[in-house]
Amino acid sequence: MSDSNFAQTLRRSADRRSFFRTVLAMAVAVVFGASSVAWAQGTDGGTLVWLGHQEVAGLGPNDIGPDVQAAVIFNILNPLVHVNHLTETEGVLARSWDVTDDGLTYTFELEEGVVFHDGSEFTADDVKYTYEFYAQPGNTIASRFNGMREVEVVDAHTVRVHMDSVNAAFLRVAGEVPIVPSDYHAEVGDDGFRTAPIGTGAFRLEEWRPAEFTQLVAFPEHFRGAPLVERLRLEVVPEASVRYIALLTGDAHATVWPISVEDSLELDADPDFRMVATNWNSPRFIPLNNEVPQLSDRRVRQAMLHAIDRQRIIDDLEAGFGVVATSHLAPHNSFYNPDVPLYPYDPERARELLEEAGWTVGSDGIRVKDGQRLTFTTTTISGDQQRRPMAELAQIFLREVGVDMQLAEAPVASILQGLREGTLEASLFNWTHGSTTDPSPTSTLYSTGGDNFTRYNNPEMDGLIDEGLGLVAEEARRPIYDRTQELFAEDVPALYLHFNQGVLVFSNAMQGLPDEILSSTPLFYRAHEYSLD
Amino acid sequence: MSGYLTFRIIKGAFVVVLISLLTFVVMRIMPGDPVYLLLGEGQIPISDAQIAAIRAKWGLDRPLHEQYLVWAGNLFRGDFGTSLIRPGVPVRHMIFEAIPVTATLNFYALVLAIAVAIPFGIAAAVRRNSIVDYASNVVSALGIATPNFWLALMLIVVFALYLRWLPPFGLRSWQGYILPVIVIATEEMAVLMRITRGAVLELLPQDFVRTARSKGLSERAVLYRHVVSNTMLPVITVIGFRVAFILSGTIIVETVFALPGIGRLFVDSVLRLDYQVVQSLVVVFALLVVVVNLLTDMVYAFVDPRIRIST
Repeated sequence: MSDSNFAQTLRRSADRRSFFRTVLAMAVAVVFGASSVAWAQGTDGGTLVWLGHQEVAGLGPNDIGPDVQAAVIFNILNPLVHVNHLTETEGVLARSWDVTDDGLTYTFELEEGVVFHDGSEFTADDVKYTYEFYAQPGNTIASRFNGMREVEVVDAHTVRVHMDSVNAAFLRVAGEVPIVPSDYHAEVGDDGFRTAPIGTGAFRLEEWRPAEFTQLVAFPEHFRGAPLVERLRLEVVPEASVRYIALLTGDAHATVWPISVEDSLELDADPDFRMVATNWNSPRFIPLNNEVPQLSDRRVRQAMLHAIDRQRIIDDLEAGFGVVATSHLAPHNSFYNPDVPLYPYDPERARELLEEAGWTVGSDGIRVKDGQRLTFTTTTISGDQQRRPMAELAQIFLREVGVDMQLAEAPVASILQGLREGTLEASLFNWTHGSTTDPSPTSTLYSTGGDNFTRYNNPEMDGLIDEGLGLVAEEARRPIYDRTQELFAEDVPALYLHFNQGVLVFSNAMQGLPDEILSSTPLFYRAHEYSLD
Repeated sequence: MSGYLTFRIIKGAFVVVLISLLTFVVMRIMPGDPVYLLLGEGQIPISDAQIAAIRAKWGLDRPLHEQYLVWAGNLFRGDFGTSLIRPGVPVRHMIFEAIPVTATLNFYALVLAIAVAIPFGIAAAVRRNSIVDYASNVVSALGIATPNFWLALMLIVVFALYLRWLPPFGLRSWQGYILPVIVIATEEMAVLMRITRGAVLELLPQDFVRTARSKGLSERAVLYRHVVSNTMLPVITVIGFRVAFILSGTIIVETVFALPGIGRLFVDSVLRLDYQVVQSLVVVFALLVVVVNLLTDMVYAFVDPRIRIST
């Protein structure tokens, strides 16, 4: 169909469209009668629509892990502090806070005159109740309170948290746990609360259909001021290309979960949209099981890092949105060590290292040592169309220097378990090895860490991690994490590829986004600041 | 007849129990641990005590046979338990919320498919090797060969993006049903059309058709009274079959159009290792297939008096 033909069809269709619309509107009005009128009346400030990719399974503090859930929950419930879009700690229910030099006592001054959706007043008792309830084992978020001993109510608007041991991340990790009204929560229990939450947030829950949508309505008595829109609705749309179309048609104003980079770039060229690229804390990496004989020599692992052209992966498969990793921390992390040597793409150097380690090229081009072939299997996540091609490209690069990397697929749950139990040889995904909140790679690089996917075991690393966790002051901690990054780069327990950038697209119909954005997830925690054009 | 029914019901119950046992075992053999999935992204270290506490809360620390008996016993009393992933939400609730969506989709799709496929299938057989026949052949071949996710996306692009007649996703209004129904119906239509055509072609040379013609009946009367009523048998078989495919067949359509149906609930629950939901869903569907099979056989006897039910 030529362009002019298509335009004609469109024009013709416009007449038919309006005819159909009239007929449909009449039919709908007859069928739904009063309800459609009520709907039209309630939308003074309009309905802000965001899209997620998976169901909203629950609406309580235990559910804040997945981004899609956090985007809803933090508009219903408020924490004491947020790590905001500039990665700064910002007070929400806490007006100010103070930490003693030994890192063992936190004092929070709370906002006054704050009310919950049921009209009851927010006080220090609610903070004490929330922290003590969710610190109990059995709660998904219990580990956020590691090191906490007790919460003391000083007066109605002051709480003091006493720690048993230093937990440098406490303020930003525990502080972000949303506060529940103690009486209501005690009455309905946590299972009841997460299906019918009451908070201090700018919106209260109106309708919740986990797999379909979650709809919130404005709470005008919110302590930071009434929201500018009447409703906030999060729709669950699993298919990325359909989310893209919904942005184009104006059915949605933002997607909490990204669409493809290609589609994002397309929208970025459109003046009706704004694209926001932010850095991830977690590297895309290939964890290697360091206990497998053919992968246990660190020269082999170093060689493999030299053999892969990591910039090419970024350019070809991430549309340039990423930066080559030098170690376990991202370049935007305040603890990033810029002096760690990079492994440049150098297949010659890779071959030298492999020869040095005793691996010689066999008859089929794959290296051999004492009858053992240099081969291993990387299991990627089933259906992971984004990262699987990276494994395929790495496979080609490794083949060039005589390393045979086979590919397999498995569901994410079995991959995590296989790596934790040492039954898998390698995989490819993203995992945080220390974040902007806390640079310590405790769970990933400590020999007994729960997420030590590489079965890495270096006493020097364990010692550094222990030492770093006992210190509070950033200056004192810095040399320790400088060294963990060096050590990680020397040992190469995993093939760290790059830190990719997350790309999100916002419709300009949604107004009030800040100009400078370093972290995009917290943008969804401030729906009360946005208005509709 | 009642003896036969009793036999079929006992057999059906046995099948359902066997399937419940199989599903239970398969879900536990499947590698992966729902507790780890729930705790997720590894920002914060998790202690073994916490994992044990969560496991105890879900009853996953008990021996396997005990877990099965508890679950099966509750199921027998109509209690499906609560979801692991959506804590506090009864599984029955989740299933009953999702069933109407999938049932509505499939009902309209089937009606649409029958309305199109049967007349065209008959026409194609009667006017064999005519334009109608070739056209219906091409259409049904395309219908079977077109991947439904592709068709779904193309329909969204045309009707939601270019024409703006229909919403791109969701069920905010009844218009949301139109595109998904078309996608599901396309495949069913293609299959039904071929089967109808084949059935009619098989009947046309039969003796009773010749007899009817030689009685002097008009071609129209021969066709409607004698041929068409006899094609109902294979058509009913196919419709009965489709019920078994609902679970697998609408997963893709429900995912693309973001519809909260039973197919998506099933896939989400498998990926999140929500044992309770998967097990319950499989049992519900096993029950459904057993009942529908039984019904299909009863309808056979009703439609075709030659079929006599015997034990």
